[in-house]
Amino acid sequence: MEDAQVVARLVRRCVAGDVVAWEEIVQRYNRRIYNICYRFAGSGENAQDLTQEVFIKMFRTLSSYDVERGAFMTWVTTITRNLLVDHFRKSKQDRVTESLDTTPSEHEDAMPLSEKIEDKAPAADMSVQSRETGELVHTALQKLSPELREAVILRDLQDMDYKDIAKVLKVPEGTVKSRINRGRAELARLLQRTYRQVM
Amino acid sequence: MAGEPKNGLQCAEFDALLNEALDATLTGPKLESFKAHARVCAVCGPLFAEADAGRRWLKSLAEVEPPVTLMHNILVATTGYESQRVAVRAKGEASWADPITGWLRPVFAPVLSMSRQPRFAMSFGMAFFSLSISLSLAGVKVSDVRHVDLRPSAIKRTYYETTGRVVKYYENIRFVYEIESRVREFKKVTAPAVPTPKEQNKEKKDNNTSGQPEPRQERNYSQGENQPVLASLPNDPPVGTVTTYRRLS
Repeated sequence: MEDAQVVARLVRRCVAGDVVAWEEIVQRYNRRIYNICYRFAGSGENAQDLTQEVFIKMFRTLSSYDVERGAFMTWVTTITRNLLVDHFRKSKQDRVTESLDTTPSEHEDAMPLSEKIEDKAPAADMSVQSRETGELVHTALQKLSPELREAVILRDLQDMDYKDIAKVLKVPEGTVKSRINRGRAELARLLQRTYRQVM
Repeated sequence: MAGEPKNGLQCAEFDALLNEALDATLTGPKLESFKAHARVCAVCGPLFAEADAGRRWLKSLAEVEPPVTLMHNILVATTGYESQRVAVRAKGEASWADPITGWLRPVFAPVLSMSRQPRFAMSFGMAFFSLSISLSLAGVKVSDVRHVDLRPSAIKRTYYETTGRVVKYYENIRFVYEIESRVREFKKVTAPAVPTPKEQNKEKKDNNTSGQPEPRQERNYSQGENQPVLASLPNDPPVGTVTTYRRLS
């Protein structure tokens, strides 16, 4: 039986009130959702809260999921992304970075993001000595603007295709590709700058 | 200049092909002109390199493991139903010490990382070695520590016993005894001569400022036996009455 069919059956059972089916859904997707939340929100604590919120929302709106309209994974990712947007708007980061849904201005490339975003991390030399490379990349990822961050997370960490990402982010595929490229390049610049400071 | 066609490819086209090139789905003449443009263009070349580096960095990130209690919490929050399977797993894998360890880890991480350095590890090893040798020489056995009675009365008794033992031991040392006797002898030699009783009496007399008559001497010691007696009083002198009048003005 195909994965999509299995999930569709699980959803039907779950809507009918089968608790074991819901447990199966949670078992299947909690890891993936937690990872998206962790990479976007930056901390494990926030990621845990957000993942819980995602599942609560899923549980309440599961009956609205239409198998014909798209993959369950895309639906779940859309819910996750929307909650992350809400969380981001509520959080303090809203003041220093751009909103997720704001249209990019014509002059957005005039100043590199590394200069636009305030570096609040501890001294680079300290972090390089004490942290693993993965943590460095994770820290740098938090400095990307949310629109670039979510694009690279979905593409490079969740291996979603451009079409699905476009659906989740509700933007054209060309915009998705452009954001991914800018996000990757910006991340590399941030990491190069960090390493240069260390050297 | 950006936007100018280089190797038959404009910068905008290069940008559009960037994803395909990085995903390795670009082939044939398009790939060749893409590579040629990247080599020549001062804007697109570094952009390609940076995007590639960024993609590699992101791919190096490993998937993080969600907390063991997450699934249990989700199920309780959504259905209120606590799955036995999940609960057992969560209980088995998480302990009460986990959050405490999570708090303490960042605090002690620098100390731990420093202590793991070979030079510090060597120092700790030497210190432990020295301590264990010292304790062995002093006759302290680690197994004895288990039997120590920690009740207040027992601690008090132990304290007095130990103090008494130490004092006794100290005073019985031959060397200390000899030193003490030498010090006593030295004090005896260097101390001023002890005054005679006569001088002491004289001093007493001189110092008598009370106005009271001196007690009668039974014998005149200053008088020699062959010295002539010039005058003397009878043993019982006449008693006269003396009246004193106090002026009451």
